[in-house]
Amino acid sequence: MEYDENGVSIVPFEFKKEIFEEAKKDFRYEEYVRGCLNCGVCTGGCPPHRFFDFSPRIVLQKMKSKDPELIWTMMDEYVWACFQCFTCAMICPFLNSPGGIIAILREIAVRRGFESAKKVLKPYSRVLLKLTAYGNQLSPDMIQPDFFPDWGPHIGYASTDLAVKRKAIPMPTLQVTNLAWDVAPETMKELYDIFDEAGVFKIIEAVDPSLYEIIQDIVDDVRSS
Amino acid sequence: MAIEINNRLGLANVKSDYIHVAGRKLEDIHDELLELEAKGEVKVIHVKDENKPIEAETLFGWKKKIPTNKLWHHKSCGQCGNIPGYPVSLLWFMNKMGLEYVDERNQTSCTAWNYHGSGTSNPVGLAAVAVRNWHRAYELGLFPLFHCATTFGDYKEMRNLLVEHKELRDEVRRIMHKIGRELVIPEYIVHYSEWVHVMRFEIAKLKKYDLSNVIATVHPACHTYKMIPEDCIYDKEIYAGKRTAVSTGVTLALGAQVADYSTWYDCCGFGFRHILTEREASRSFVMDRKIRPMVREAHSDVCITQDTGCTTTLDKNQWIGKAMGYTEQVPVMADVMFAALACGADVYKIVQLQWHTTDWRPLCEKIGIDWKKSEDEYNAYLEELKAGGKTVNLYEYPK
Repeated sequence: MEYDENGVSIVPFEFKKEIFEEAKKDFRYEEYVRGCLNCGVCTGGCPPHRFFDFSPRIVLQKMKSKDPELIWTMMDEYVWACFQCFTCAMICPFLNSPGGIIAILREIAVRRGFESAKKVLKPYSRVLLKLTAYGNQLSPDMIQPDFFPDWGPHIGYASTDLAVKRKAIPMPTLQVTNLAWDVAPETMKELYDIFDEAGVFKIIEAVDPSLYEIIQDIVDDVRSS
Repeated sequence: MAIEINNRLGLANVKSDYIHVAGRKLEDIHDELLELEAKGEVKVIHVKDENKPIEAETLFGWKKKIPTNKLWHHKSCGQCGNIPGYPVSLLWFMNKMGLEYVDERNQTSCTAWNYHGSGTSNPVGLAAVAVRNWHRAYELGLFPLFHCATTFGDYKEMRNLLVEHKELRDEVRRIMHKIGRELVIPEYIVHYSEWVHVMRFEIAKLKKYDLSNVIATVHPACHTYKMIPEDCIYDKEIYAGKRTAVSTGVTLALGAQVADYSTWYDCCGFGFRHILTEREASRSFVMDRKIRPMVREAHSDVCITQDTGCTTTLDKNQWIGKAMGYTEQVPVMADVMFAALACGADVYKIVQLQWHTTDWRPLCEKIGIDWKKSEDEYNAYLEELKAGGKTVNLYEYPK
């Protein structure tokens, strides 16, 4: 990406057009973008609209405009405001899915390693590591006061004697601290093969190359075990 | 149209003789799936008699068979890592009812929390993970039961995409062959809350406490009823068929009052990414749009949920509200946990409320549960375990 003397990116129109074409090529696009009455029901019911500069009606209208310039304006922070709750899709009288469009645009942003996507996802890397390297997302040892101070003093409950408290849960799969449940290595290997074949590892490499290196080290270890 | 209103608090047990259709009519994907099976395109995990199915109605009045026996537990990342009493309460009920199931290590996350939070996957990746887990249940001869609402929403979507798009089926089939599996699709995608719903009268038979003075507010999870809305249980006797019946059904069956509040349809503020990396949005949403209306409008004693992310978000973000002078607090737990409490399950060893941050003790006291006794016994149990004692499990791995 090129930048002007003020640090503002100069993006050629052809590139913006390419992004729009990429979105349109997605096999879900036709299902998500239909007729639009511009009624605004989607925005009226949209939870993040109450707290962010984000409107599913605008998402849909910009896609309907087919104007690459307008669509490009959503590719930075804008697409990351969506909660992915799909309230918009449920209440749209024309069965559009602005939430689905957001998913397509986010995929493009990470696949192409956009700086905005890298910035937004930087604090998310710990979760991404857990999911892709071990096969589940949130482990008990992640729920610690230093990471969640706003969750109140009781959050410290998980930071003392965690191993024995987990051992007291009467399900053997849950009696671990570093994973949500104890995933078998053979199961992890299957997941790695899926991620390889579906291009998921490549996406992570594009959006966070250093995290990708760490994940690959773990993957290599598990595969050779 | 016959409507009978007998709940002073709201619409929960309003009855109607028509079903809400939300102005849409879609093809029933179930029929298309069976057509693909007949052509030899896919294998289907059928609900059999041995699964002891109970029929329910979905949004358009279509029938959905909910298997109640011989189940494969598809666990949730957030529940297992953060709200362990959620899956434990479910297993506790299944043991009480003598039902067969498997809970094992051979399961991955559905990866959909990650997808909706970060975009770092794609339909092929999501569908292949789904089929991989479905196939594991298939090879064991069991029917998969999904614990998480996001798994439920994602797997409903992946089933639909697989049925509708041959290219996706071909790609997923190729990947499955690579890992030694086949393309299989369950006849129905079933969420645990649907199991709880169809079993609610059996559950109510186990009730130990009178809940008639308990006011509950229900938070329906977005990914239960907003993703593939036509595949979600509605009941003409609950909210007159205008809102999903799951969770409300069991709460009413247990004799609690279900109160209405104006923001029932709002999400919890989880946001998938926001709960982890932009928490000021989640915090504000929880207090302004959910907890304060539940307490101020409905005088709620407990918030009943049906999903991992909602339970976490609504429970964990109340304490910080004090910084803004918000004093409203309400304990949060899933329908199955509330039901387990009502049926005499141990507060600490089974329902595991000790992991929750918003104070649940006043609720226990209102119900008449001696939580202090349970706490003392649990602390003694932890000491036993520290000294090398063995865990008393609800379930052991199959030999």
